[in-house]
Amino acid sequence: MMERAQVIGSIALRNVRRQARRSILTASAIVLGIGLLMFIRALEAGAHVMYVDSATRMGTGHISIEHPDFMGSQDLVHRLAAGDIALAMQEVEGASPPGELGAVFPQVNVGGLAQTAASSIPVRISGVDPELEGEVSFFADKIVEGRYLEPGDQLEAIVGVGVAERLRVELGSRIVLMAEGTGGELESQLVIVSGLFRTGVPEVDRGVVQLTLSTAREWLELDGDATSLSVVLASDDRTGQITQEVRERMAAAGAGPDRLAIRPWWEAMPDLYAGLRADTVQTYIMLLVLLAIVALAVVNSVLMAVLNRTREFGVLRALGLNRSAVGAMVMLEGVVLTLASGVAGMLLGFAIALGLFGDGIDISGLFGEELSFAGAIVDPVVLPVVQFVDVAAIFIIVVVIGILATLYPAWHATRIEPAEAMKTDE
Amino acid sequence: MTPSAEGSARNPAVEARGLWKTYGEGATAVHAVHDVSLAIERGEFVALCGPSGSGKTTLVNLIGGLTDPTRGVVEVDGDDVGAMSERARAQLRLERIGFVFQAFNLLPVLTALENAEFPLMLRGVEREERRKEVLELFEHIGLGGLEDRRPGALSGGQQQRVAVARAVLGAPALVLADEPTANLDTAASDALLDVMELLNQERQVTFIFCTHDPRVMRRARRIIRLVDGHVERDAEKEPGDLPSWVLEPVGA
Repeated sequence: MMERAQVIGSIALRNVRRQARRSILTASAIVLGIGLLMFIRALEAGAHVMYVDSATRMGTGHISIEHPDFMGSQDLVHRLAAGDIALAMQEVEGASPPGELGAVFPQVNVGGLAQTAASSIPVRISGVDPELEGEVSFFADKIVEGRYLEPGDQLEAIVGVGVAERLRVELGSRIVLMAEGTGGELESQLVIVSGLFRTGVPEVDRGVVQLTLSTAREWLELDGDATSLSVVLASDDRTGQITQEVRERMAAAGAGPDRLAIRPWWEAMPDLYAGLRADTVQTYIMLLVLLAIVALAVVNSVLMAVLNRTREFGVLRALGLNRSAVGAMVMLEGVVLTLASGVAGMLLGFAIALGLFGDGIDISGLFGEELSFAGAIVDPVVLPVVQFVDVAAIFIIVVVIGILATLYPAWHATRIEPAEAMKTDE
Repeated sequence: MTPSAEGSARNPAVEARGLWKTYGEGATAVHAVHDVSLAIERGEFVALCGPSGSGKTTLVNLIGGLTDPTRGVVEVDGDDVGAMSERARAQLRLERIGFVFQAFNLLPVLTALENAEFPLMLRGVEREERRKEVLELFEHIGLGGLEDRRPGALSGGQQQRVAVARAVLGAPALVLADEPTANLDTAASDALLDVMELLNQERQVTFIFCTHDPRVMRRARRIIRLVDGHVERDAEKEPGDLPSWVLEPVGA
């Protein structure tokens, strides 16, 4: 029985080799298709990693901790008390495995006005701690003129290039910021422009002003309070897990969800998350089309191989091979061909993604002047990322294609009537 | 005629009763086999003759279960071939019938040796044992040294000998041979026919040949002449004789 299976297998393999030209043509289609699929997925995964990275480094962090109502109200009434901030910082450190934690920093974020003698525009004002946040801040990387904030700065502020343009200010210019304080009255603060940043996200460049956290706290009479605490992790891999751990620890310490909202970035930035999902769906649709083409190539090749060998299958049946054995032989031919070329395609994909474009691929052409995706900053150079889950999924897809695409030809081969088959000319 | 263990000993090797095979319907229907009834006993050496298109190949295909009868019954060892499941027919062909097809029909990806041993391998005969049988027979029929060649590297006559070897190896109960000598010279056909005669005499293998070849007909001990799908004449004869009627034109 073993030997019978072996011989059937060996005939199938020899047939793949015997039809070398057709096998090579089919294999090339599969190799290219799967290679391209692998590369596109790696590029998309890389782009998503980058979008998430830049978005989280714009201030929200991988995990954002706020008063539950602040997201809706943006009112300083719904702020984090100094005690909660200290507790949260401690629990975040406790919940993060060594090496996972990038930075934890409080921020004050309020809406307000920026005024000069020439103009007055609405802006989003952020008080940031340059010591805690500077290392990971995206803005620090995007300074085009002047410098980023430094510990000890008092009146210094950085503004987007669009803000500077609208207010007609330059480095060293003065701006008056106005915002509602904790008491509900308008408070004003004079700042001096020490740096200009260009992120590529128009709404950020045209509407964000950053000053130091200490100045913001003093100005708005916040003492040690803040509006949010952001946690930047070393990578996005364990965001969900760490968020859950922090939630549990905070609840145990008496700060449950009614007091603190602890959100992973996909809850804190729902627009970005929706954008990434839509992008993934779009890619999958494209990949499905690609896979359908690959599957058709396999169906075509195996079916042609069966049709050309009608007589041979007739002989096998006449010699006493039953229908299922004939079907198995054809299945094996198709699956072996698909699997071998599928794996080769995956290697090609690896080679393209990590070899050819291992240093990154410039996608700025896709975005034009505005380098943003769903509010996230886009770095024009994407590093392809090959994820284990994609490799596994693509491998399974290859196997499934091999089986599905060979089913019909195999069924056709089992229907061959030996007496009829042996009359046919090859 | 119920098949049973005791009964099978008395059953003919092949029996056909009111057997028809019709292609097409109505006015265009062609009766390839037309009300054939015959019984072939175990150990017979039978030649089916008749002009081309007289239904010889169709009759052999019906006996081997390669095609279904339109009407009537065909039995091998008392088992109704038409009533068998597909799987049972495959098993019948594998275990009890050897085929030599009109075109040689070797598997192109297998070597001569692998082609010849293929049915034995499917039957589960040990590798050593079947290789020994194949090599002995190959030596005997002039295929010694060609074991590892693929069919494409063999002459027509050599391929036909491999096909005959495939059919007779393991001494099946019945060998159905469609024009086995058509592509062979006298010496090669004599060598093959010797092998077949020996199997017939020593192991009681039943042989049914479809043939135009007087050399085959001479050796046969019974000749059945088909014309237009039915049995025109069916007669036993002495080995070596060639009755004049077998070569007469149809209707004479």
